[in-house]
Amino acid sequence: MRRFEEYEPFVITVFFLSVIVIAMFSVHPVVVFLTFITGILFYIIRNGKKHIRSHLFFAMLFVILAVANPLVSHNGVTVLFVINNNPVTLEAFLYGINSAMMIVGVLYWFRSFTQIMTSDKLLYVFGIFSPKLSLILSMALRFIPMFRNQAERVKDAQKAMGLYSDDNIIDDIRSNMRVFSIVVTWALENGITTADSMSARGYGTGKRTNFSDYRFGRSDIVLLITDILLFIIVIYVSASGHLDFNFYPSVSYSGHDTIGLIGSIAYGILLMLPVYIEIRGNIRWKYLMSKV
Amino acid sequence: MIVIKNRSVRSFIRVAVPFFVIPALALFGSIAFDRKKHIIISLAAAFFALMVFISGFEKKSVGTRRLVITAVMTALCFIGRFIPFLKPITALTIITALYLGGESGFLVGAMTAILSNIYFGHGPWTAFQMLAWGLIGLIAGFLSEPLKRNKLLLLIYGAAAGIAYSFIMDIWTVLWYNNGFDTRLYLSALVTAIPYTLSYMISNVMFLVVLAKPFGEKLGRIKIKYGV
Repeated sequence: MRRFEEYEPFVITVFFLSVIVIAMFSVHPVVVFLTFITGILFYIIRNGKKHIRSHLFFAMLFVILAVANPLVSHNGVTVLFVINNNPVTLEAFLYGINSAMMIVGVLYWFRSFTQIMTSDKLLYVFGIFSPKLSLILSMALRFIPMFRNQAERVKDAQKAMGLYSDDNIIDDIRSNMRVFSIVVTWALENGITTADSMSARGYGTGKRTNFSDYRFGRSDIVLLITDILLFIIVIYVSASGHLDFNFYPSVSYSGHDTIGLIGSIAYGILLMLPVYIEIRGNIRWKYLMSKV
Repeated sequence: MIVIKNRSVRSFIRVAVPFFVIPALALFGSIAFDRKKHIIISLAAAFFALMVFISGFEKKSVGTRRLVITAVMTALCFIGRFIPFLKPITALTIITALYLGGESGFLVGAMTAILSNIYFGHGPWTAFQMLAWGLIGLIAGFLSEPLKRNKLLLLIYGAAAGIAYSFIMDIWTVLWYNNGFDTRLYLSALVTAIPYTLSYMISNVMFLVVLAKPFGEKLGRIKIKYGV
């Protein structure tokens, strides 16, 4: 009974990738609407009433994106009204709303992705594909606080020697530039020392192994297989033309047959997986707390 | 398994496959199949280009020192992204490429995109940012000799890189909004992005003016002293 973010990072990445690929592959309003609604739902379940400002930002973005299309694009046969000799059509309007839903929905999903995939998980997933790049990334992450500390120390030393002044803005900039220059030189030298130390301990001589304390349990396998199966179903349905939707020149669509329906339902289940896991985790947590 | 003996041919293939063959295939695919699916094709092309380049890098033996220096430059770029309005990332990527070669330049650009997006938010644009910054570094590496000799040329390259970055990212914006490519939307996106394009250009040129010489001296010194 784990929460969604406690699953194995690789499984989480595969899930998000499959959602994003489908969301960008299909313009069918049902698919787009499902992405949009569940994206918001999942974000709210995870964050509650926090982040009101980002909700407002997304709402504004939605309106702008929805309105922009009918003003720019004049395709479509059903003319609603005319501004400056440019027809504003119903089709362009619907298309704008559809695009806005798609973009804002994917943005919500990516918000959750950024929250869930913290730097350690990202490094782990990256390490599966490329240990070398993962090493560069993790070293860079470690260097950041190190450089900051070193900058403080250099600044103190400069102050003690009477070389640092922040009386006026020009002195301030010059002093800071000097500190920056010293830190960069030190950073490069320190990097060489690190590299030599790594070589001395045998880096690059054998096969590199990665440490991780993520376990790949039964629930991970279940989630991964379910995810891949649903993904294949949706992609198959979409690629075989059962989820086609055209806005121009006039609205025409398929998807009212059984196969289209199966595709939509499969996508809905796929999107509800993390929502379900999250709610189940919450209920279980509350239940256990009530026993305490 | 075919082994290519000639070293320069090998390195040419390593660069040509991800950045020329795959995009060409993607372009062909999008024209030949379905005109509506540009977005997913472009995303797949970006993704595979990065994967192929990375796996090429993975197989190659790179000196530990070079690896760590790349990490140092990535960390510096990452810190630079927190400066409001003016971003030194492109400038630092170019400088790295000039002294350590195109591959390191590519890695610094691409890795900075991944790393800083942990804080600035990942999106489907991450792949395109990686490609855009990476390619700016890679090309700077190819042109390193003339760019190192001529300062004016370097500044022009910096400004051009700012424009190119904006143009690449706007292609992506249009594809995402419209699913297919649309010239009118692209032009309007470019016009709306003019302030950003200008800020990229100004910060690239400014940081190249300020940083090129000191960073060049430092990297050059490290290169001579330790033979990176």
